[in-house]
Amino acid sequence: MPVVLTSDMVAGALKTGHSTRVDVAIEPRFKVGQRVRAKNLQPLGHTRLVRYVRGRVGIVETDYGVFTLPDTMAHGGIPTPQHVYRVNFTSHELWGPAADPKNSYRVGLWEDYLDPANDEAP
Amino acid sequence: MNGIHDLGGMHGLGKILHTPDEPVFRSEWEGRVFAMLLSVNGVGHVNTDEFRHSMERMDPAQYLSVSYYEHWLHGLETLLYEKGIIAAADLDAKLAQIKGSDACQ
Amino acid sequence: MTSSEHEHDHTKLPSELELRVKALESLLVERKIVEAAALDAIVDAYENKIGPRNGAAVVARAWVDPEYKARLFADSTAAIAELGFSGLQGEDLAVVENTPAVHNMIVCTLCSCYPWPTLGLPPSWYKAAPYRSRVVIDPRGVLKELGLDVPAEKEVRVWDSTAEVRYMVLPERPSGTDGWTEAQLMELITRDSMIGAGITKSPAKAQ
Repeated sequence: MPVVLTSDMVAGALKTGHSTRVDVAIEPRFKVGQRVRAKNLQPLGHTRLVRYVRGRVGIVETDYGVFTLPDTMAHGGIPTPQHVYRVNFTSHELWGPAADPKNSYRVGLWEDYLDPANDEAP
Repeated sequence: MNGIHDLGGMHGLGKILHTPDEPVFRSEWEGRVFAMLLSVNGVGHVNTDEFRHSMERMDPAQYLSVSYYEHWLHGLETLLYEKGIIAAADLDAKLAQIKGSDACQ
Repeated sequence: MTSSEHEHDHTKLPSELELRVKALESLLVERKIVEAAALDAIVDAYENKIGPRNGAAVVARAWVDPEYKARLFADSTAAIAELGFSGLQGEDLAVVENTPAVHNMIVCTLCSCYPWPTLGLPPSWYKAAPYRSRVVIDPRGVLKELGLDVPAEKEVRVWDSTAEVRYMVLPERPSGTDGWTEAQLMELITRDSMIGAGITKSPAKAQ
């Protein structure tokens, strides 16, 4: 890596960006359409597992592929590559029976944040 | 961390101060802070995840009351000190020097 | 120092913050950690070159060209790159479609993630606590506060940008725009309509 970003590098750097995708073939743990439960993790360090979904059940809508894990990248630059899923949660699941049933919430969640929820009642 | 930044679902944080249009940077210093972070991030001195975490660790009352790019300044300084790239004392000295040359007697 | 050496305007003394940032930049430049000209180029790029006009071009193209629209939903990153927009904070883009049945809203509850290549840098209100906290619990209330009444029978979908995918809304094409050119259509496409915090301008209002 260069030591300093110089002006001639800027346009190219902005146009390329830096993706956190990892080009490695890993078997996904979850399938599209599967019910999953966000884990009840309470990490002291960095995470992208928002509190409002912890312990809640949703449905996997998309597998975005393999990315580095923020929780370990933020503490020592450790990649821990894994699949990232888009999970769809109903408003009742997140906000209780009084919530508007015509609202829904889609959240990007790393595989380490999720457990299967196959045995749950619909 | 269960920090102040994890705001989804909280009540009472006030009205959305919506503007239909606004300058990208409201003051010159905001643009400089933005660019400095992109620069050190771009060459790998700091990664995006640790940068986000540096802002999450800000004092919660400060986090909610200061302007957005003050979060960035806080995060940038925190990481530069923690990684030993510069020392807080170095910045203090430079600031004193700049104030000294700007001072009106 | 004599008074003649003080020509600066005493009504515009630099704030503590401005001095601190100036000191930090000065230090980092001296230590060759950043280059001032590179910082200038970065600021220029986001002030003048990268902004919501990019996203408006994508939307207008999708409205007039059904095959482009299909490509946009099959692989948003690639389709958007066809128009020359790509890169930082948009390495993985996903466009979501507003329809008569569905209104989409984008947020980053944890910080300020936003599709820079198509929309530029996010506005202050998107990055601040009120929007970030409320959109995921009361999206219709937020829309109402922003002046948009969504019918009760319409579905509202909220997309929280927790991962590295950056979302953008394809707003509904307003009626009365048949035969309009892409350039004309772009004038109706507001930044807020691509966040889902508003809708496009109507042809009558745009006149």
